Amino acid sequence: MQNVRHYIIIVVLIAVVSVLTYWGLDALELMPVAAAAQAGPIDWLMDLQVKLIAFFFALIVVPLVYSLVVFRRKPGESGDGEHIEGSTSLEVTWTFIPLVIVVVLGYIGADNLAQVKRVDPQAVEIKVVGYQWGWRFEYPEGFVSNTLYLPVDKQVVLKMESSDVLHSFWVPEFRVKHDLVPGRVETYRITPTLIGDYKVRCAEICGSSHAYMESPIKVISQAEYQTWVNEQAAIAAAEAAAALANPDPKRGEKLYNEAGCKACHSIDGSKGVGPTWKGLWGSQVPLADGTTVLADEAYITESIRNPSAKVHQGFSPNAMPSFAYLKDGQIADLIEFIKTLK
Amino acid sequence: MTHAHTSQHAASHGSKDALFQGLVIFVLLAFLTAVEFFIAITNASVLLLSVAALLKVGMVVYYYMHIYKLLEEDDEHDHSSFAWKVATNRLGLWLFLLSDAFVFGGMFVARFNLLGFTRPHLNQELGLIVTSALLISSFFMNRGETQMALGDRKGFLISTSITFLLGLAFLLGVVFVEWPEAIHEGLTVDGSAAGGIFFLMTGMHAFHVLTGLIFLLVILRNGWLGLYSPERHWAVEAAAVYWHFVDVVWIFYYPALYLIGKAL
Amino acid sequence: MTQSSSTSTGNLNRALLFFLIGTLLGLALGVGLHTAISGGFNTTYWMDIPSWMLGLLLGTLGFFYGLLGYYGIVRGLVFQVVGTLAGILLVSAIRAALGLSFFDPAKFGFHEGAWVFGALVGAVAFLAGVGALTDWWKWAKGEATSDHHEDVPGWRKYFGVSLDHKVIGIQYTVTSLLLLSVGGLFALLFRVELAESGLQFLTVLTPDQTAALNLYNSLMSLHGIVMIISILLGIAGVINYLVPLLIGAADMAFPRLNAFSFWVAVPAAVILLGSLGLGGFDTGWTGYAPLATRAPIGIQMFYLGVWVAGWSSILGALNLIATVLRMRARGMTAFRMPILVWASVATSIISLTATQLIGLSFQMSMFERLFGMPFFNVAKGGNPILFQHLFWFYSHPAVYVFVLPGLGVISELLPVFARKPLFGYRWVALSSIGIALVGFLVWAHHMFTSGMNEYLRVPFMYSTLLVAVPTGVKFFSWVATLWKGKIEAPTPMLFVLGGIVVFLMGGLSGPPNATVSTDLHLHDTYFIVGHFHSTMFGGYVFPFFAAIYYWFPKATGKRLDETLGKWHFWLMTPSFLVLTLFMMRVGLLGMRRRIADYDPMLGFDPWHLAMTIAAFLIALSVVIFFYNMVKTLRSPVTETGNVWNSRSPEWQVPSPMPAHNYEKEFEVVGEPYDYGLPGSVYVKM
Ligand code: HEA
Ligand code: HEA
Ligand code: HEC
Ligand code: CUA
Ligand SMILES: [Cu+2]
Repeated sequence: MQNVRHYIIIVVLIAVVSVLTYWGLDALELMPVAAAAQAGPIDWLMDLQVKLIAFFFALIVVPLVYSLVVFRRKPGESGDGEHIEGSTSLEVTWTFIPLVIVVVLGYIGADNLAQVKRVDPQAVEIKVVGYQWGWRFEYPEGFVSNTLYLPVDKQVVLKMESSDVLHSFWVPEFRVKHDLVPGRVETYRITPTLIGDYKVRCAEICGSSHAYMESPIKVISQAEYQTWVNEQAAIAAAEAAAALANPDPKRGEKLYNEAGCKACHSIDGSKGVGPTWKGLWGSQVPLADGTTVLADEAYITESIRNPSAKVHQGFSPNAMPSFAYLKDGQIADLIEFIKTLK
Repeated sequence: MTHAHTSQHAASHGSKDALFQGLVIFVLLAFLTAVEFFIAITNASVLLLSVAALLKVGMVVYYYMHIYKLLEEDDEHDHSSFAWKVATNRLGLWLFLLSDAFVFGGMFVARFNLLGFTRPHLNQELGLIVTSALLISSFFMNRGETQMALGDRKGFLISTSITFLLGLAFLLGVVFVEWPEAIHEGLTVDGSAAGGIFFLMTGMHAFHVLTGLIFLLVILRNGWLGLYSPERHWAVEAAAVYWHFVDVVWIFYYPALYLIGKAL
Repeated sequence: MTQSSSTSTGNLNRALLFFLIGTLLGLALGVGLHTAISGGFNTTYWMDIPSWMLGLLLGTLGFFYGLLGYYGIVRGLVFQVVGTLAGILLVSAIRAALGLSFFDPAKFGFHEGAWVFGALVGAVAFLAGVGALTDWWKWAKGEATSDHHEDVPGWRKYFGVSLDHKVIGIQYTVTSLLLLSVGGLFALLFRVELAESGLQFLTVLTPDQTAALNLYNSLMSLHGIVMIISILLGIAGVINYLVPLLIGAADMAFPRLNAFSFWVAVPAAVILLGSLGLGGFDTGWTGYAPLATRAPIGIQMFYLGVWVAGWSSILGALNLIATVLRMRARGMTAFRMPILVWASVATSIISLTATQLIGLSFQMSMFERLFGMPFFNVAKGGNPILFQHLFWFYSHPAVYVFVLPGLGVISELLPVFARKPLFGYRWVALSSIGIALVGFLVWAHHMFTSGMNEYLRVPFMYSTLLVAVPTGVKFFSWVATLWKGKIEAPTPMLFVLGGIVVFLMGGLSGPPNATVSTDLHLHDTYFIVGHFHSTMFGGYVFPFFAAIYYWFPKATGKRLDETLGKWHFWLMTPSFLVLTLFMMRVGLLGMRRRIADYDPMLGFDPWHLAMTIAAFLIALSVVIFFYNMVKTLRSPVTETGNVWNSRSPEWQVPSPMPAHNYEKEFEVVGEPYDYGLPGSVYVKM
């Protein structure tokens, strides 16, 4: 009789505590806004997990606390508790039921993953390059951007490359993350569903400025996206043509700021990860092998396309990633800019 | 002697046969090695090579390393008795080898992860020669151990010295002939992952051979001074088991580096 | 008694004085060198981390010298310093002879290879100096050594080589607590930086922003690895002290190896901390290539320190398995072993084998840097993912190394304080082995987003989830053990109960990481950080404190103060819950791991401030614990009986434990946890 009363109280308490725990956690808004189709299944599964957590937490903690309160040794009491050695049927039960839950959970997980990975053959393809410490987005229309513009409600497939170490592409609002592995092209699919501004945040430690390896993402309507792409493509084409004809230090400076040179090269003479550009043009650059070289067009072009060919003394040979993607015109602009830094 | 059937004695029972058995095993090992080589230069079947290697390892582990001694019953309860200590030491040694096997296993897996079923371009004949040196040394090691159990100290010293010399030949062969030749053929330490893993595997193995040689020097010296007896020569057994273990590793590494797959 | 205590305070004062002198000397030496090398003095030199490291090294040396004279650990450290220098000079001389560069002031003076080799020689020299190799040297020469160890009487034996497993157990435990403090101190430092977005604290300690960011990364990485090594040593301490007592053995199977296993961890810790003096490293405790290939030289000290400490784990595990297999008392069949012994065996199976693979992965990375072997360099046919596989093949099972003994302690103490048998003893015993074995098959769940082969994800999800089953068996059995007991809750029991709840939270936050799609969001966020702090605190830190409170009277004959113990518990537990729950909270919302600074737009500032305060409260509770230990040790009150009214053999003899354990081997005649069964006994003395 006594036992039955204990059990009834416990069952009721477990039910109440699980519901309250779940309700409390749910009210906390655990996840950031969902801005991609892939977030749907993921949030659904996470919610299921939270329910499981709430239930199992209550299942253990309720009887534990109950025992502590009800079965604690009263003052003046002596002797031991009841001699109960165990129960094979109980043990089998609480091995078997979690086993079933786990197998089902695994099945759900696999199915969920398949939903997240669903491929749309029509997806827009964009190349993403991660480097220490920034992101570059190369559009198939032939231009490069530092902000990732994405059309809403359309799957994009990012072809991701890293020029130095591991990085990881993560937008919390998109949920999914995936590492960039040097020397490989990793594929990342996402279908943004909510217009707005986000950030890609590098999620794999990649050195000093890992914390700051963030770039803006703009999800815009498909029509706006098309306009933006056309505009950028036109600008890029015009710039390339203009640059070859007459290089312009202004455009070079813009590249300096946007292509990522700024992260390592100063223009005021101070030392950074790379040598300063102040006074570089026309100087004799000391090389690691002890020789020197004249900083002329050929040397600078080579330093950009193939940085480890000739290494400035005192600097690490593989610090600078290759910027071979820069077009001749852009390099001409950069050189013009460097020439102005006396 | 209350502990009449400890392993020491078991080993020396019928030990005329033990010497003969060692020889038979050696002949079989040599035969399998030749078969492996033949497989390699004909169709290079991974399956057949694996079977051959496993057979060889099985024989070494059972007949040369006496793994069954681990399971021998011992009802000795006096923790200060020699019999108890030897049995405990033996267990400790095998646990160590188990642990060590995981490093070698790790490198083995890494090799297949990096190179798949291609292999570095190496001189297969040279590989066969150094492998034979190690194999023959295992035979003499077994012989030396058995002779010690039989009380033939002189035989022990001679066999162990031969083991030592063959081991030394293997070590020098790998380091001063094989490595320079590989480098000459373009397989350099820092040139490619294939070079890296080749030097890592052979280097770690060579390091174990080196420690084994030092171990052999110790038992040679102490054997020379007459510190071992047919009943008490745990150090000799330990050195022998360790030496065979290093051989076992090579039984896997030799086909993995020299025989399996297509040369790069 | 009074006499010896007065000389020891004399020693202590001298030790502190020498510590001060040593530190100042080292610091001055470092600053002087810096001035000499750069040809000019700058006041910021007084904040050089390498100089401070040098100062602390000499200070520690001075401290121990003041305390002990030229003995034990002092000789070891002196040898280590000399050995390191000798190794460095040897390599430099060889390089000079070959016409290679051997001196580079920008990179801590010497070539990387010289540093690595020097550190390795230093570690061996330490072992020779402290005397951990002496007997083996004699064995090699065929000389006999005495089986019966007699230690120096008094506290000095703890500072030199002793073969007594009880001494070694205490040496391990104290070293572990020291490392816990050091690792915790690192955490406190970087938590201050995280209290607010922006960089404001570490920039004060360093000349510029890049240096501050690097310092953050080094502190964070060292925090992780120092804590982990601290756990490994703490476990070894508990196992070493208790297992021989629990199974009725006079010592471990290989006492010399046991001493070696402990002492090898000391130079390892020195090398590991030395990494901070060589530029630190910025990879996190996981040391992934290829970032590791570009890290400062400090990373080599990290690799080497872990590699050397790994031997401590491996050899300790070997010893434990041999001891349990060979030295159990008469009548102690497998299913009559105390549950902690089962847990220790399960742990040791992992340590013995898997540890080799973290060693190998670190060795390969070390060689990639030293010799250019391109294992993880894609450009030359290497594979960076391979490093992760090798690393996690150990480092996942390792997490079960951390918890299994802790869970064993929980299972061991619950029956005592509930006055009831352990519910389902066999199931609890076998679940440890089950966890250990399944734990070998789950490693790639750390790599769901890494770009490894896609088809591996689902199988690894299943295997990972499977671990919940045996772990669940433990939880249900614990609850059933409490059911209808007569529960008492002195301090050790409080820590047991706290451990259960905290570990439950950690464990339950595991399955969301295991199902791949949710992990795509959770990976490398503070959710993971929260997950593993909960599992490690609940599965290790709480039970470890429980064990100390519980067995302290056995080891010392004195009982820790209850009131202070309760303060410790009631301060630590809520603070920890705040820390871990807030970690999970911000993690879900987008807080990445391993960042020195976070986007203020995310609105995490108040959460982080609360976490930092919680961190300091945890530290305060640990300080209270230290104070309690010191106070108790100095108090004259003794407690030599069966303090907890336990059935376990070690409590059937007076405390502190006699030097050679049990006078006569006991015999096991009953079940270990038959509380509440009148007339039953476990062992017959
Ligand atoms: C003591 C240490 C410890 C323990 C015990 C665990 C236990 C578990 N861990 Fe944890 N883990 C770590 C320490 C630990 N972990 C660390 C240190 C890391 C990060 C390393 C790094 O990157 O730095 C990590 C990371 C980590 C990851 C990688 C995350 C990522 O980086 O993306 C994953 C993924 O699957 C994971 C899963 C699990 C699971 C499923 C368990 C399970 O074993 C938990 C099982 C327990 C329960 C589930 C609760 C009790 C069970 C019941 C009440 C039964 C019923 C329950 C169910 C049916 C669900 N852990
Ligand atoms: C047992 C393991 C363990 C323990 C106990 C702790 C304890 C703590 N940990 Fe940590 N932690 C890890 C293991 C552990 N940690 C690991 C493995 C990582 C991953 C690293 C990586 O990503 O690579 C990590 C990472 C980690 C992070 C993430 C860092 C990042 O990703 O950027 C944070 C952030 O808050 C953190 C905080 C804390 C805090 C506040 C404590 C507090 O509990 C600390 C409390 C303080 C003490 C316990 C010390 C108290 C003592 C004194 C102050 C006395 C000092 C005096 C003397 C010397 C005598 N830890
Ligand atoms: C991650 C750091 C980094 C980034 C980003 C970077 N560089 Fe560099 N750069 C270096 C380092 C280090 C060197 C010196 C070593 C060498 O010569 O390779 C260098 C050298 C150079 C040189 C040769 C200058 C000299 O003094 O020898 C030029 C020109 C150059 N970089 C141009 C660029 C341009 C253009 C960009 C951007 C489009 C850029 N760098 C981006 C690190 C960087
Ligand atoms: Cu890129 Cu972190
Ligand atoms: Cu894991």
